[in-house]
Amino acid sequence: MAEASNNVKITIDGKELVVPKGTNLIEAARMVGVEIPHYCYHPHLSIAGNCRMCQVHVEGSPKLTIACNTGATEGMVVKTQQSSDEVSNAQRATLEFLLINHPLDCTVCDQAGHCKLQDYYYEYNGKPSRFVEEKVHKVKAEPLGPEIVYDGERCILCTRCVRFCEEVPGTTELGVFNRGDHSVIGIQPGHELINPLSGTVVDLCPVGALTHRRWRFNTRIWYTNSADSICPGCSTGCNAKVYSRDGEIVQVKARLNSAVNKEWMCDEGRYGFSRFQPSRRLETPLLLQKGVHQVADFQAACKEASRLASANPGEGGTAAVFLSPFLTTEEIWLSLEFARQVMNVTLASGQVAMQLKQRKLTDAEKLLVSPDYAPNARAAGLLGLGSTDENWRSALERGYDELLKRVRNGGIKRLLLVGDFSVIIDDVDEGIRDAIARCDVSVALTPRGVTPTNGAGHIDPLQVCKVLFPTRTVNEKSGVFVNRDLQIQRLKQHLDSPLNTLPEWMVLNGIAKAAGKPLLESSVVDDRALFRELAKRVPHFSNLTLAKIGVQGVVHDSGA
Amino acid sequence: MEHVKILTKNLDHDDQRELVAYEKRGGYKSIRKALKMAPAAIVEEVKLSGLRGRGGAGFPTGMKWSFVPRDSGKPVYLLNNADESEPGTFKDRVLMERDPHLCIEGMMIASFALGCHWSCLYIRGEYAYPAECMQRAIAEAYAKGYLGKKIFGSDFDLDIVVHRGAGAYICGEETGLIESLEGNKGQPRIKPPFPAVFGVYGSPTVVNNTETLAVLPWIIENGALEYKKIGTEKSPGTKLFSASGHLEKPGVYEVNLGYPLLEFIERECGGVWKGRRLKAVIPGGSSVPVLRADELEGVLLDYESLRTKGTFLGSGGFIAMDETTDMVEACVNLQHFYTHESCGQCTPCREGARWVETIVKRIAGGQSFASDKLLINDICSQITGHTICPFGDALVTPVLSFMQKFPEEFQERVDRASVLDVSGQTALGSHG
Repeated sequence: MAEASNNVKITIDGKELVVPKGTNLIEAARMVGVEIPHYCYHPHLSIAGNCRMCQVHVEGSPKLTIACNTGATEGMVVKTQQSSDEVSNAQRATLEFLLINHPLDCTVCDQAGHCKLQDYYYEYNGKPSRFVEEKVHKVKAEPLGPEIVYDGERCILCTRCVRFCEEVPGTTELGVFNRGDHSVIGIQPGHELINPLSGTVVDLCPVGALTHRRWRFNTRIWYTNSADSICPGCSTGCNAKVYSRDGEIVQVKARLNSAVNKEWMCDEGRYGFSRFQPSRRLETPLLLQKGVHQVADFQAACKEASRLASANPGEGGTAAVFLSPFLTTEEIWLSLEFARQVMNVTLASGQVAMQLKQRKLTDAEKLLVSPDYAPNARAAGLLGLGSTDENWRSALERGYDELLKRVRNGGIKRLLLVGDFSVIIDDVDEGIRDAIARCDVSVALTPRGVTPTNGAGHIDPLQVCKVLFPTRTVNEKSGVFVNRDLQIQRLKQHLDSPLNTLPEWMVLNGIAKAAGKPLLESSVVDDRALFRELAKRVPHFSNLTLAKIGVQGVVHDSGA
Repeated sequence: MEHVKILTKNLDHDDQRELVAYEKRGGYKSIRKALKMAPAAIVEEVKLSGLRGRGGAGFPTGMKWSFVPRDSGKPVYLLNNADESEPGTFKDRVLMERDPHLCIEGMMIASFALGCHWSCLYIRGEYAYPAECMQRAIAEAYAKGYLGKKIFGSDFDLDIVVHRGAGAYICGEETGLIESLEGNKGQPRIKPPFPAVFGVYGSPTVVNNTETLAVLPWIIENGALEYKKIGTEKSPGTKLFSASGHLEKPGVYEVNLGYPLLEFIERECGGVWKGRRLKAVIPGGSSVPVLRADELEGVLLDYESLRTKGTFLGSGGFIAMDETTDMVEACVNLQHFYTHESCGQCTPCREGARWVETIVKRIAGGQSFASDKLLINDICSQITGHTICPFGDALVTPVLSFMQKFPEEFQERVDRASVLDVSGQTALGSHG
């Protein structure tokens, strides 16, 4: 943080404030609640200064200056559109200039409703255009790459996309071609816009010039529901705004969070939300009877599953619990409580594992993507599973592999699988399948229906599990995730959950109740109450509330 | 008035472009003298001379040099701006074609004063022949050992390269030039930082016009005080004017600053051609406001006198227009140039340039003038001062000054159209 001596006092629209020297005026104005409109400026990209929307009046300067390229100096007196007619006139004119050659095709534009050109026009211009000439015509619906389509006429040439590709992935696929009002964004000859973060250019585009090929024309934005959530693709935990309509995810935008993902997001995560939605859905509890899964009611399933319980400490060694990496922190905590209190298993015994596979990343992916598919694995470490040091990935991976081996070796009599992908189908061979089948009791909590087909080394363990509970995917639940840097963030429900499904924590508590060892008081009825319970009982989260975590998250205090 | 010939003294000698002849006529004497001076003393000398940049802005050269930090730890670069693209301007071309070694010697002196060891002549792409002349002269200088390591027996190393532009007016703007030289799209940079601190390759950079640099050998040889004796107090020295248009003897002339404009037309340029009367003059290239013939009495060719008339000395691109000139068509022509050359980087200029051009064309086509004039004035007021580089200011200049100085011709278009009932097409429709 800046030393006190590096702070300067400035005045914006008559309001005095103290900011670190050199703070650009857009950010400084934000601090006093003044929005200086801008298109080309982005806090994590270089300054281009080309849109001319952020012009302000700085006392002593003969002409207007652009706020994005002006750093605060001691005693600076700034007037924005709120207190200077010259500034508001310049902004009105800038919008008029931007719109004269714009096609004004809002009625068919995906950006309508979340478009900065629309927003600013209403706020800072609002007058009919005086332009009666023929507009300049440019490329339409030009594919820039496999995911992105460009509309040259809507483009305001702010060059955010060009600067992003140059400065962040460093792939420099994009450039500005031609001159004057014929300028268009294009791809360098022989290239296409294909990099691991390519979808980010659509988020950065303040207008409707860049669209996702797979999502364009799918809905008006005002018919969607949206959630300020995070991406569950890996342990980076990119902040995302997820839009859904009619049970489908129709658009994903990165959210600005300087501490986590700036405003970037990888294509795998962005376009991958729907991969968590299984094509075959488990819709009711099932009990395996005479080799066939039969529909059961919830209470009967809980009663059968309660055979997981054991009061005899000597039996602890016969149990195994596999956790999904997509469980919320609350669910991991409750699973571990279940293992300890109901199944009589200690964490130190290595009989509880979270599925984690490390993966290799390309250099371009390393910018943002984490080498895992485990968005909440660090929470497991905080809760006592695996490790809290930098080896947390390999600790979990080893624990998972070893526990699978123990299952194959036949020492396991009681098996609990919590959540989707708690065991990877590719890891299951006939030996493991048969070992699971020989267990006294095997219970799986899963949103996924049983995969019927067999193949060598690709066997769905659900086929032989004795009790199956229909639960929810990561898109269908809310809770708290801890990212790779111990940033605690909120996952918010993106999609409605199907009728008969339950979150994992409710199922676990149901089984525990049936076993006569309830884990939660009856007052805990939803995920918010569950988080309060976690905060009450686990010191790592003791001072936290969901409100404190908010939409930007908080860093875990490692001293706690 | 007797004009001192600083730049044009030897232009008439056909062998002047050869190193031997250049040296025989006193060339490469100043650099030898300069190399024995302290670099700071040269900067002081140039400051004292009052030399102002000849590219158009007229910024004091010595002051520009003094902005270069001495202790940045980075190399300093001198760029010779020969991207002479302003309509009506062709003075540097003559220097480079006919006295290339003078240009080189000027670059040598400036480089030594600035501590620059790599200097670049950025020449407009269309100047193929001048570029060839400069390239040949530089090769000669290298062969003679005047460029390269330890020039003229001193400890000073200097390399000069010629870089040809690719045909964009905006690359004559110093930061556009720097971007182009770096291999990027020729678009001006936002300032600050200024080139003196963060120029080509992020290093301190001075960009000087070719004519400015070519003056240096004379100043070093004769001293700043001698230079100050020429011209006026605030505009010392001589200036090249490239006279074009309706003149008997168009061409490049070197005159002392402060020379009466009408005398320049009569004596140097041989008067208005075909015995016609003068209608208007653009004294400094297309980006400066036009003057009517009846305002020219007593006007002097120097920075201050032209300033009081609301125009500028600019680059010395002197365009004379006789009584037969259609000012509306001339205005359309110039506006088309600016639409074509807008780099497209920042909004007001990119979008505004063509808008203004199309409105002017509409007026030329005889549609309403009164309301369109107001519209143009408003658009232009929102372009001026709101762009990254001075191009925005330049592009509004022709239309505003032509409409202000010759409103009757614009109005006549409307009147004529209403009488003849012709629909609004300009004779210059092909400009679109």
